[in-house]
Amino acid sequence: MTDPTRVAVTGLGLVTSIGQGRQKVWEALLLGCCGFSPVRSFDTRGYSVHIGAEISDFCADQHVLELQPSTIGRTSQLAIAAARMAVQDGCLDLLRVDRDRIGVCVGTTSGEPGSIERFDDQCVRGIMNAVGGEFLNGYPCHVIPLHVARELDLGGEAMTIPTACAAGNYAIAHACDLLRNGRADYMLAGGADSFSRITYTGFARLGAIAPEFCQPFDRNRKGMIPGEGAAILLLESTARAVARGASIYCEVAGYGFSCDAHHMTAAHPQGEGAARSMRLAMEDSGLQPSDVDYISAHGTGTLTNDRLETIAVKKAFGSHAYSVPISSVKSMLGHTMGAASAIEAAVCALAITHGWIPPTMHWRDRDGECDLDYVANSARKHAVKVAMNNAYAFGGNNSSLIMTARATSGC
Amino acid sequence: MKKRVAITGVGLISGLGTSSAFFHRQLCGDMDDPGEIPKDVLQEHQAAPTGVLRFFKPESYLKGKHLRPLDRTGQLLASAAQIALRNSGWTAERLARHDVGLVLGTMFGSMHTISEFDRRSLIDGPACASPLNFANTVINSAAAQTAIWHNLRGMNSTTATGATSGLVAIGYAADLIECGRQATVLVGGADEFCFEAFCAFERAALLSGENDEAGCFVPFDQRRTGMKLAEAAAVLVMEEWDSAAQRGAYVLGEVRGHANGYNPKWKQSGYGACGIIRAMRGAMRESRSSPSDIDYITASANGSVVGDRNEGLAIKTVFDGCCDRVQISAIKSNIGETLGAAGVLQAIDLLEAMKSGTISGIAGLGQVDPELSSLNLCRDSAFVDVQTGMINSVGFDGHACSVIISRSATQSNHT
Repeated sequence: MTDPTRVAVTGLGLVTSIGQGRQKVWEALLLGCCGFSPVRSFDTRGYSVHIGAEISDFCADQHVLELQPSTIGRTSQLAIAAARMAVQDGCLDLLRVDRDRIGVCVGTTSGEPGSIERFDDQCVRGIMNAVGGEFLNGYPCHVIPLHVARELDLGGEAMTIPTACAAGNYAIAHACDLLRNGRADYMLAGGADSFSRITYTGFARLGAIAPEFCQPFDRNRKGMIPGEGAAILLLESTARAVARGASIYCEVAGYGFSCDAHHMTAAHPQGEGAARSMRLAMEDSGLQPSDVDYISAHGTGTLTNDRLETIAVKKAFGSHAYSVPISSVKSMLGHTMGAASAIEAAVCALAITHGWIPPTMHWRDRDGECDLDYVANSARKHAVKVAMNNAYAFGGNNSSLIMTARATSGC
Repeated sequence: MKKRVAITGVGLISGLGTSSAFFHRQLCGDMDDPGEIPKDVLQEHQAAPTGVLRFFKPESYLKGKHLRPLDRTGQLLASAAQIALRNSGWTAERLARHDVGLVLGTMFGSMHTISEFDRRSLIDGPACASPLNFANTVINSAAAQTAIWHNLRGMNSTTATGATSGLVAIGYAADLIECGRQATVLVGGADEFCFEAFCAFERAALLSGENDEAGCFVPFDQRRTGMKLAEAAAVLVMEEWDSAAQRGAYVLGEVRGHANGYNPKWKQSGYGACGIIRAMRGAMRESRSSPSDIDYITASANGSVVGDRNEGLAIKTVFDGCCDRVQISAIKSNIGETLGAAGVLQAIDLLEAMKSGTISGIAGLGQVDPELSSLNLCRDSAFVDVQTGMINSVGFDGHACSVIISRSATQSNHT
């Protein structure tokens, strides 16, 4: 008997500062490659920090084939590239399926920041006449999935979930719900954000950007490195994936979300909301803490986040917290905002598939308050049947997604 | 088995007041009705060229804490949420015992805060950009600020699908309740009126130019030239049926079904109505309704030349054979196009129509677009027994959403 609630991940598309495409990104992560370099997209001379994680070799013309690349924003371009890769990776022949049953759900923090930054430049320079109709067609964040849908001619649900730095997890979870209740046959879900002057300025003003590199959970960590990227996962019911002979990376077993309702930029001081989302995710998946083999941490590299995430993991996992490996790929990719948790969900899928855990790079000195196993500095061979993907966001939004190796029974 | 979804409270901050009954009576043309906003203030607002709510004073609704951390969108939403919670009987004590969720639909979120933060940095240097304002530059800041204000610790999400965002949020929240993830969810729609949004619509030539003699933002009217932009926030309290019944809540209506449609070819001739048709049919299929079961449609129409036509043609197609029976109204010649808030305001109009047995007319409707003459468009308010109604939301870019709400059995006992 097929369980209709099971959702499989059958395709992965990744665009990051350390490479593009599932294979290249995965190999670079296991090698500990970093995508940090001086910011190129705007002048940082008035800033105290100058490093970002931009994608230097992205060529939109290679991915955006139906729409005019110059008429859409960079975030849409990144999302389209990742979506095309996911469809190809999942061997989904779009000509042989009902495209009105394929939806797109994208998480983002800033949407298309380039559009409003250009508008602001025009305002400041007093050339408002230069603002045209493209501002409405290019700025609102909902245009990202619409552009993906138009590029691939898809007529299903097309939604943006702009829940800041946890948005990728929200988009994937919503896509799973749409599949489970029969609203779609396939979903392209994930996250995308392009490098943003506004975001960089804000985090610089908060003193949250590290001067050179990102070293999550290290005693001397100095903050995050803002970045950009996109990840799209092809999701479908496990039954459908098996029926069409698709390769299955893993299943999405459940999720848990909560809100601290405490402070816009500061997490709950006892990590209550984050621990609750982890517990809810395990409950939703029918799993115990001891079942979890790997935690992909939010791990931004800021003093407070890493300490509170460690507290929350201990609350949710009890003594097992000390035996479950935890790593943060933000140490290599920087913080790609709304794309981050989608990229990290793809990392969980690959960890389950290959039995390797990517490292937390730049870890040097132990912090007494961050005393768990952070898979420091080199990848680790480790069988992963259950992975938890944590992501947190402004406003106290907490999210945990659980991905599992495909169960052999049922399908 | 899917759980049933009850609507147990409403709240709004709009150009037609802040109580649902007053809002509906204003839509029905009952302008002499005393309300919480002085008549001259409302008339001044309605005559103003922009849809800014100049009479909105957040401190009237949000008391006891500093308002500075909330930007305008946040203030509008948190205020509407305050009214909805009170309307539904959710006290602070009860909120402390339950993890209530929040889903916001918005097109622009905190667009003005985002842009202003950036311009300040450009003009005075990045060192002068305010960290406090940066917190509100995330698109979901209104939802987060509202959760903080009202202690909503359940799932907090924001949906963005353009002008359909609010109605899409209702469907999103209904799914969360139906599958048991949340017992109670506040569903809101909010968008502020700001210079940046106005500029975007004006440059895209979507505004009616209502200050010009020929400007007309009357839905389905042959003279229509575009929409009038306005701001508002609206919130519904949605609860799992049994838990609402258990606490003795008064049920205003039941969400029976919803569907979204996107049409990637919407710009091509002959394809404009496809996504809307798919959304309407999908919502009816989910609610197991046929066209003859729908008593009333509150349309998305806002005076848009293309959008109104597409929606009208979609209704003609879906209701083929009973177009003359189903009553159709549209609220945006009264209230303006409130983007994310629009679908939720239409839901409130529908709930009030069910309760009062009166539907509103389309204010100012003159000569109907000849292509849509077979539609049963309401010119004036009328007594109609609305058991089941449909809400449509149509975006500017091919997205559409429909939600079907029925009058509840408990409501019949109360009225």
